[in-house]
Amino acid sequence: MIGRMIRLGTTLMVVGLVAALGLGLTYTVTRKKIEEYDRQVEVQACLSALPGVKSASEIKEDNGLTAKAQKKYKDIQKVFTCGKGYIFLVKAKGYGGPLTLAAGIDKSGRVKGIAVVVSKETVGLGSKALEPAYLGKFRGKTVRDKLKIGEDVQAVTGATITSRAVTGQVKQALEAFDLIKQ
Amino acid sequence: MNGETTGWREFKKGFILENPLMVLMVGLCSSLAISTRVENGIFMGLSATFVLVFSNIIIASIRKWIPDQIRIPIFIVVIASFVTIVDLSLKAYFPPVYERLGVWIPLIVVNCIILARAEGYAYRNTVWHSFMDGLGMGAGYTVVLLVMGVIRELLGTGKIILFNSTVISLGPFNPPAIFILFPGAFLTFACLMALLNRYKMRKKE
Repeated sequence: MIGRMIRLGTTLMVVGLVAALGLGLTYTVTRKKIEEYDRQVEVQACLSALPGVKSASEIKEDNGLTAKAQKKYKDIQKVFTCGKGYIFLVKAKGYGGPLTLAAGIDKSGRVKGIAVVVSKETVGLGSKALEPAYLGKFRGKTVRDKLKIGEDVQAVTGATITSRAVTGQVKQALEAFDLIKQ
Repeated sequence: MNGETTGWREFKKGFILENPLMVLMVGLCSSLAISTRVENGIFMGLSATFVLVFSNIIIASIRKWIPDQIRIPIFIVVIASFVTIVDLSLKAYFPPVYERLGVWIPLIVVNCIILARAEGYAYRNTVWHSFMDGLGMGAGYTVVLLVMGVIRELLGTGKIILFNSTVISLGPFNPPAIFILFPGAFLTFACLMALLNRYKMRKKE
């Protein structure tokens, strides 16, 4: 009885070990590529969120500011700085899952541009609130703007949840900017 | 009969007679969800085929050595490992596709097709037959995904985009977006089933 239990356990352990070995190898091989890609996506979004920034070398991730912003605004993922202003990566819950946006804010506190980093919104519906036509409407907004759906911002038909998420994210980025500036 | 012809029979079976989606009707959930685009179908089909083939091979080759009582956990470990390999590789080398397939790749682990083939076939058959079985099942799965993808993408978005280039376009019209939403998946699948059943009934008569 005990002998059989040990045999079963050992078999499972061997299978598990072999599997773990294979997975470890795959992970080591792919890790660099995956990190590179994630980073590239972020930088690309940052560049399009803050027009005027030409190359990736101009922007720098600021861990100190990130930590400061995160104390009050949990959804802020990262804060990048550059000569032209700040870029906030804000994560929210969209309709289809996590939705991460990059919000570029210039030194005077105006939104310069919004870019999508990660989105799983439904193509053709939710994604309509992530098109430049809609995101462009946030340009020039400041922390003094109410940013409330139905008041100073309109939701896109068929993309109410996504519109709400985007508006909330922009609002949060602006508030975080305000906090950092203090 | 020599090995090759029976191997071919195993392949064909998964393709037509026992097509996982249209006949066995297993693994429907992810198929309905991801068949919004032809490209998704290609990658999802290839990923599932890869997992099917390799888990079948491994399980068939160690089947005499697996104690009966713990076969299911072993199957799951084998399947989950291959799924994770696919998951990481897709993320590293085809990130745009990975973004779209999202959670459905890890969910291949619980796709009934794969566990059903491991338990129902690979555990009792030779490595060669299990390999052909996995290949056939995978191909059958992929083809149905492609057909659904073509119908849904073309009707739902008005065009088919493959690897960043438009292959077919229906011209300027406002496509019924319902086809790329969940109801469209059910409609498309039901129509395909109806067509197939009609064909089968005709053949019987």
